Amino acid sequence: MLSTRDLVAGYDERTVLDGLDLDLPADAFTVIVGPNACGKSTLLRTMARLLTPRRGTVLLDGTAIRDLPTREVARRLGVLPQSPLVPEGVTVADLVGRGRQPYQRWWRQWSSEDGVAVEQAMTLADVADLADRPVDSLSGGQRQRVWIAMTLAQDTDALLLDEPTTFLDLAHQVEVLDLLHRLRVERGRTVVAVLHDLNQAARYADHLVAMRAGAVVAAGPPREILTADLVHDVFGLACVVVPCPVTGAPLVVPAYTGGHSTGAAASAGGSGAAAASAGASGIPAATAGQGGTDLSDASVPGARPASGDGANPLADSYPSKGL
Amino acid sequence: MTTIHRPSGPTTSAPGAHVPGRSLLRIGPVSLLIRRRAVLVAAALSVLLLLAMLLSLSLGTPYVAPADVLRALSGAGTPYDLVVFDLRLPRILLAAVAGAAFGVAGTLIQSVARNPLASPDVIGITQGAGLAATVALTSGMAAVLVAPTALVGGLVAAALLFALGARHGLAAQRFVLAGVAVAFGFRALTEVVMLTADPIDGLRAQIWLIGTLAGKGWTEAAWIAGTLLVLLPVLAWAGWALNSTALDDDTTRGVGLRPVARRVGLAGTGVLVAAMVTAQVGAVDFVALVAPQVARRLVRAERPPLVCAALLGALLLVLADLAGRRLFAPTQLPAGVLTAAIGGPYLIFLLLRGRRRSS
Repeated sequence: MLSTRDLVAGYDERTVLDGLDLDLPADAFTVIVGPNACGKSTLLRTMARLLTPRRGTVLLDGTAIRDLPTREVARRLGVLPQSPLVPEGVTVADLVGRGRQPYQRWWRQWSSEDGVAVEQAMTLADVADLADRPVDSLSGGQRQRVWIAMTLAQDTDALLLDEPTTFLDLAHQVEVLDLLHRLRVERGRTVVAVLHDLNQAARYADHLVAMRAGAVVAAGPPREILTADLVHDVFGLACVVVPCPVTGAPLVVPAYTGGHSTGAAASAGGSGAAAASAGASGIPAATAGQGGTDLSDASVPGARPASGDGANPLADSYPSKGL
Repeated sequence: MTTIHRPSGPTTSAPGAHVPGRSLLRIGPVSLLIRRRAVLVAAALSVLLLLAMLLSLSLGTPYVAPADVLRALSGAGTPYDLVVFDLRLPRILLAAVAGAAFGVAGTLIQSVARNPLASPDVIGITQGAGLAATVALTSGMAAVLVAPTALVGGLVAAALLFALGARHGLAAQRFVLAGVAVAFGFRALTEVVMLTADPIDGLRAQIWLIGTLAGKGWTEAAWIAGTLLVLLPVLAWAGWALNSTALDDDTTRGVGLRPVARRVGLAGTGVLVAAMVTAQVGAVDFVALVAPQVARRLVRAERPPLVCAALLGALLLVLADLAGRRLFAPTQLPAGVLTAAIGGPYLIFLLLRGRRRSS
C-alpha cells in the first residue's frame, strides 16, 4: 500500500527523517508510536504528501506519489491533519461535503455520487444528526468525528490520521478508535494513525511501528514486538508489560519510580521483558514483582487469552464492547 | 434544460442530499451549488442598486423627475436627454462598475488574507497607484497618461507584494505583513514627491489620491468593465475556489487541492482588479473593505460571497457619489471622502464586535 524508500524529510534547517525505509501493510490498522519529536508526524505528513521530502520517495501502490496528480492521490488516500483549523460558521454537512472536492470542478460542483458519499460518511461517523449544526458549535469529540467523516467522504482506500485522539477525553478517544477499527474490519480500509497512547496502540493496531529519533526501531504485530525492552529502547521508560485483562493485548504499565527518578529503570526493564514474553507465549500470568510490587496475580478473571485469535484479537468484536 | 433541485422535506438525510441551505442548479453538464440566501440577497441588492441609480439620475440641478428619467432612458427624446445621458449617466455607471470592482477585489484580498480588515489600501496596491499618479500629475504628464501610469504603479506594488509574500507560500499573515510594508514604503515616497512639487500640482495629486468620480465617465467605466469582463472566467472559478480559503493548508492538500496555487490565483486576480479600478477612480477603497464583510453577514456565509459583494460595492459607491454631489451642493465632495467618513465608524464597530466576542 504505502512504502517509503530512503526518505529524508524535515523542516527548514532540521532533518527529522534521515533515510527511512518502511512498508505499511494494506488492509491493516497501522499505528505509529514514539516519543515527542521522534518524527512520527513528519513521517505521516510526508506519506500524505503534505510535506515534500528532500530526498527519497513515498510509494502509493508502487507508484511514486509525487508523480501522481494530487487530485488522484486524494481519491486514493485520505488524510486528517493534527488539529485542523475549524472554519467559522460552516455546517457539518457542508464540511463533510468538502471531502468531495477531489471529484469536483467549479463547473461540476455536485453530483449524485457526492450526495451518496457524504450521506454514507456522515452515517458511518455517526454525525448525520448534526448535519445542519455549525462545526464550531460542537464538542471536541463530535468535531473529530466530523473531520473523520470529511475524509471518509473522499471515499479512499487508505486513511492517514495524525493524532486523531489528542484533546479528547478517554471515552471519546475510545469512540474514535472504535470507528477506525470498524473502518478497517467492516469496510476494508487501510488505516494509518499516529497515536500517543501505547496501550491504545497495542489494543487497536494490527501493525505497530515504533520510532525513535527519526528511525524505525521495530515494526510488526504489537503482540510480537511490544516488550518492556522495546518501550525502554524507544521511550527510555522502565515498565512492565502484562496482558490486557480485556483483550489480552500487551498492556504497558510504567515501573514504580517512587515519583521521581528512574533509578530502578534497568532492573524493571529486564523483568518487564520477561513478563511480556510470558504474555506473548500465551501464559495469562505475568511475573514482574520488584520493589515491593507484586504483579504475580496480574491475571484477571475473564481476560482473553493472548493467543486466542492470532494476529488480530479484535477481528470479531468491537474492542471497547468487550466488557 | 434548467432544473433546480431542492432538498425535499425537512430532512436533509435523504440519499443524494446536498449541502444544507444550498440548491443545485443544473444546466446541461454544468452543476452549481448556490446558496439560496445569496440568491435572495443578490436580488434585493440588484433592486436597490437600480433604485439608487434612478435616484442619482434624477437628483441634482436641474431636478429631473424619475418618470422623465425613465422616459429619457427609453429613448423617447426629452428635454432632459443632455442632463441624463451626457452629464449623469456616465458618472453613475462608473460609480456602479467601480464599486462592483472594489467589492470583487476586496472579497478576493480579504479571503486570501483571512482578515476582514484587508483591502487594496492595506496591502499597498492603492499606494503604488498613488505614487505613480502623483509623479504623473506633478511632472506635467498628459492627463490621458495618468490612469495608465497609476495602473503600472499598482501592478509594481502587487509584484513587490508577491515577491515579499512568496517565501511562505503567500500565507495569510505573511501576505498582510508584506502588504503593509509595501504600503508604508510607497506612501512615504508619495509624500516626498508631493512636498517637493509645485503646490498646485500637489493639490491635484491630493484630490486624485482621495478618489473622485467628478469629470469621469465612459472611458473609465469601459476600462473597469472591460477588465471584469476579461476576467469573468477567472472570477467564475474564484467564486468556487474561495470555498477552500477557510480551510488550513494541510486539510486543503489532503482533499487534492493546491492551496498556494489557489492563493496566488485569487490574490493575483484581486490585486489586478484593485490596481485597475484604483488607477481609474483613485483611492475609493473603503468600498473594498466594507462590501465583502457586510455581504458576508447578509448572506450568513463563512466567507465573503463574490457576487453579493460586487452588487453591494456598486450600491455603496453609487450612494456615496450621490451624497458627495448633493450633501453640500453646490460644493461637491469627492466620493472618497464620503466612503472614508463611513469607514472610520465601521472599523470601530468591527473592533468593538471583535472585543465582545473574544471576552
